[in-house]
Amino acid sequence: MSTPAIEIRDLEKRFIVKQGLFGTPRHVRAVDGVTLSIPTGATLGIVGESGCGKSTLARLILGLMPASAGSVLVEGQDLSRLDRRARARLIQPVFQDPFSSLNPRRRIGDIVAMPLVAQGVAGHETRSRVAEMLAQVGIAPEMASRYPAQLSGGQRQRIAIARALVLRPRILLCDEPTSALDVSVQSQILNLLADLRRSLNLTTIFISHNLAVVEHIADTVAVMYLGRIVEEAPAQALFAKPRHPYTRALLASVLTPEPGLGVPDVGLGDVLPDPSNIPPGCRFHPRCPVAIARCSRETPPRVDGAECHLLSA
Amino acid sequence: MSLLEIEGLEVTFGQGEGRVAAVRGASFSVARGETHCIVGESGCGKSVTSLAIMGLLARGATRQAKRMEFDGRDISRLSEREMSRLRGHRIAMIFQEPMTSLNPAYTIGSQMAEVRTRHLGGTKQAALDRAAELLGRVGITAPGMRLGQFPHQLSGGLRQRVMIAMALMNDPELLIADEPTTALDVTIQAQILRLLAQLQADLGLALLLITHDLGVVARVAHQVSVMYAGEVVENAATADLFAAPRHPYTRGLLECLPIPGKVAPGAPLGSIPGMVPKLTPGFTGCGFRSRCSLARAECAAPVALRGAPHLYRCVVDA
Amino acid sequence: MRRSGIWIGGAILTVVALAGLLAPWIAPHDPYAQDLTRRLAVPFWMEGALPEHLLGTDQLGRDYLSRLIFGARVSLIIGAMVVVVSGAIGITLGVLGGFFGGRVDDVVLFLITCRLSIPVVLVALAVVGLLGSSTSLVVAVLGLLLWDRFAVVARATTMQVRNLDYVAAAWAAGSSTPRILVSEVLPNIMTHLAVVGTLEMALAILLEAALSFLGLGVPPPLPSWGLMIAEGRDFMFFSAWVIWIPGIALFTLVLAINLLGDGLRDLFGAAPS
Repeated sequence: MSTPAIEIRDLEKRFIVKQGLFGTPRHVRAVDGVTLSIPTGATLGIVGESGCGKSTLARLILGLMPASAGSVLVEGQDLSRLDRRARARLIQPVFQDPFSSLNPRRRIGDIVAMPLVAQGVAGHETRSRVAEMLAQVGIAPEMASRYPAQLSGGQRQRIAIARALVLRPRILLCDEPTSALDVSVQSQILNLLADLRRSLNLTTIFISHNLAVVEHIADTVAVMYLGRIVEEAPAQALFAKPRHPYTRALLASVLTPEPGLGVPDVGLGDVLPDPSNIPPGCRFHPRCPVAIARCSRETPPRVDGAECHLLSA
Repeated sequence: MSLLEIEGLEVTFGQGEGRVAAVRGASFSVARGETHCIVGESGCGKSVTSLAIMGLLARGATRQAKRMEFDGRDISRLSEREMSRLRGHRIAMIFQEPMTSLNPAYTIGSQMAEVRTRHLGGTKQAALDRAAELLGRVGITAPGMRLGQFPHQLSGGLRQRVMIAMALMNDPELLIADEPTTALDVTIQAQILRLLAQLQADLGLALLLITHDLGVVARVAHQVSVMYAGEVVENAATADLFAAPRHPYTRGLLECLPIPGKVAPGAPLGSIPGMVPKLTPGFTGCGFRSRCSLARAECAAPVALRGAPHLYRCVVDA
Repeated sequence: MRRSGIWIGGAILTVVALAGLLAPWIAPHDPYAQDLTRRLAVPFWMEGALPEHLLGTDQLGRDYLSRLIFGARVSLIIGAMVVVVSGAIGITLGVLGGFFGGRVDDVVLFLITCRLSIPVVLVALAVVGLLGSSTSLVVAVLGLLLWDRFAVVARATTMQVRNLDYVAAAWAAGSSTPRILVSEVLPNIMTHLAVVGTLEMALAILLEAALSFLGLGVPPPLPSWGLMIAEGRDFMFFSAWVIWIPGIALFTLVLAINLLGDGLRDLFGAAPS
C-alpha cells in the first residue's frame, strides 16, 4: 500500500482560556483526537458546525499553530520536524474570506509571487511562473498590476488559489473557500478547483459547512463534532446511508432547492456544543434523539467509520 | 387584497455624478398569512428594498414608487412619526446578525418590554409577562430566567429566537426578515425556519423573507421574487419558479447549484460568466444583458414585467 | 468641514516648510547679525518702523523676520527628527509586541507603562539641565520620551492585522518573520501611524518651544521660537510684538499640523486603541 499523501494521527489541541481577572480558567479541547488518512489525488471533505473545531484543525494541519499532541505526516514526513519553507512546498491553504486573504497594499502579481520569493526563486523564473499561474486560474495578465480592491470576490478567490498553487504543493487545504461567494461565482470556483485538481493531481482537504457542495466534490467525507471525527465514509455512502445520529441530523437539515418538501424537524434540541464543556461518554449524547443510558457513561467505539454505541449493539 | 403592495420601487443613493441606483424597479405583493421570499445575490438590492419599505434608508437616499401600500393605505408619504408608529407594531423586522441586533447593555426583558410599552402602553410588568409568553412560544426554555439575562449570555440561535419573539411583541401582521438564518448553523437554521412557519400558521403572520439561499426559498416560500441588479426579474409561485423558470438569470442560477441527486458528483456545475454591472446614472435596460446568451438590442431599453401570473422581465418569450 | 482640514493644514505646513527650506535665500538679513544701534525697532504697522526690518528687531538688533524664518527651520527639523526617533522606537516595540504576543508583549506593555509613568517635561528639563542645552540633546531626550503613542497604536493595529488571512497565507507560504513584518504588517498599519506621526510632531514642536522658553532647550543664539519668546520676556510691556509674533507663528504651525492629522485620521478611519 502506497504512502498516503497526508496522514493525521491523534491530533489534539487544547487551549486554556482565562476568564477575566478572577474567573476560573476554562479548558477548551478544540481538537480532541483526530485521525485521518488521504490517498494521493483524493479529496476529503470535512463538515461540521460551529464549535466542532474544523478551523482549528485546518490551522494545525497547516502548521499555523503547534499541536498539543499527535502528528501530521505528508508523504511520510512529520510536518512538525520540517522548517516552514519545506512545509510550504508540501501544503498550502485557500481561506474563506476573499477580502482578508489578500494584502490590500500589494499588487496581484506580487501577491502570487510571494511564496516563490519566500523560497528564494530567481526573479525571471518567478515572473514566468506567476504569469503561468494567473493564466491557469483564468485571470488576464494585465490584472497583475492591479490591487485587490479593484477585483471582485470571485477574482480574488482565484488569486488566492493561484498563490496557493504557485509552489505546486502536494496538498491543498481549502477552508470554506466558497462560503463567502455568491452562488453563481461559487460554481465557477468549484469548477476551477476541480480542473486544477485533475491537472495537478492535487490531494485536497475541503472544509465546509455546505453539505451539498461537499457531496459534489469530495471522495471521502469526515463529519466533525466537538473536536472529533464522529463519522467518516466515502461520500456517496455517507450521504445515502448516514450511520451516526449527528450525520443524520446534519443531512436532514440541508435544505435542497426542491419545493414542496417543507423544513424537516431535525430534533436536536437547544443545548449547544461547547468545546470547553465536553459531555462525558459520547459527546453528542445530550442532543442525540436516540441516546441510550450507555451513551452518557462510555465513549463509543468506532464501528465502520462511525463512533456510536448503537452500531455495535 | 394583499397586505403589502409594492409597485415600481426605486431607490437611489448619492447625488449627481456619483449616483448609484440600488433598486431600479421592485414590484411584488405579499398576501396575508403568506411567505414571500425575495432572493438574489449580493448587490441585487434586496436588503435595500426591505429597508425602503420600512422607511429605514440612510440619509442621502431617495425613494420613489408607483405604489407602496400596507393594508390598503399608502405608506410612501407617511411622516417619520407615523412610520415609526407602524414599525415595531404592525410591521416588524428582524435582521441577519443576531450578535449586533440586540443592545448588549440591557437585559432581554427590558428590551422586549420597551417594544411593547412604547407602542401599546401598559405597565412594564404586563409587558414582561407577554415577553415571557412569547419566549416560550419561540421555544426558549425557562423564559423567566432568560428575561433577566444579557444578550452575550445567549448563543446565536437563541438570540435569533429572542429577536423573533421581540418582533412579535405587538402582534404584527407582517414580519420582514432580512437573511435571518444566514449567520446560523445549518441545524439551527432548520429549527428557526420551522418556528417561523409554525408562527405563521398559528398567528396568520405574513412573512417577507429576504435571502440568497435558494434552498430556503424552495422550502418555505409561497411566492418568490428574484432580484438582479436592482430589479425584480421574475415573480412566481414557488413550485412554478423551480419547475419552469422563465428568466435567463433564474435559469442560470438554478444550474449553478450542486443539487445532490440531480447533479452528478464531480460533473462541472453550470456557471454564469461575467459580473454584475455597475449601476451608474443613466444605466437603463436589463441589467443581465452583458451576461445573457439571449441578449438582443431591445434589452438596452427598459423592460417591463409580463406573463402574469408568473411574471418575468425579459424580451425573449420564455 | 473635515476635508478642508487637510487642505488648510497641509497648505500652511507647506508654506512654513518652504520658508524653512529656503530660509538662506528669502530671509532679508542674517538672523545672527547684531546691530546694537537698532535695538527693538518696531514692526511695519507701527510708527517709526524701519523699512528694511519689516517685523522690527529684537533686543540685540537682530532682524525679527529673518529670525522668524530661520526659527521655522529649527521647529520643523526638531519636530521631524523627534518623530523619526520616537517613531522608530515606538513602532518597533509596538509591532513586535503586537505580533508575537506572550512574553514579548508583556515586556512591551511593561515598557509602555513605565514610559507613561514618567513625567515628560520634568525629565526633559532635568536631563537638559544636567547635561547642558544642545539641539541634539533635545532631539534625543524628546525622541526617547515621546514614543508611547506610536507603540500603542502600532501594537493595536498589528494585533488586528496579525489575525487576518493574508498574514496566515504568508506564514504558510514560508515567508520569514522579518519579511512578514515588513511586507504584510507594516504597510497596512502605516496610515494609522502617519496620523500619530503628525500629532507627535506638533507635540514635539511645542515641547521644544517650552523647553527653550525655560532656558533648557536649544542654546542661544539659535532662533528657536520658544527662545525668542523667552528672550522677549523682559521687554513684554513695551515691545509686546517680540512675544506675540513667535507665539502666533508657533500656534499657527501646531494648529496646521493638528488639522492635517485630524484630516488624515478622518480620511483613513480611526485607529483602534
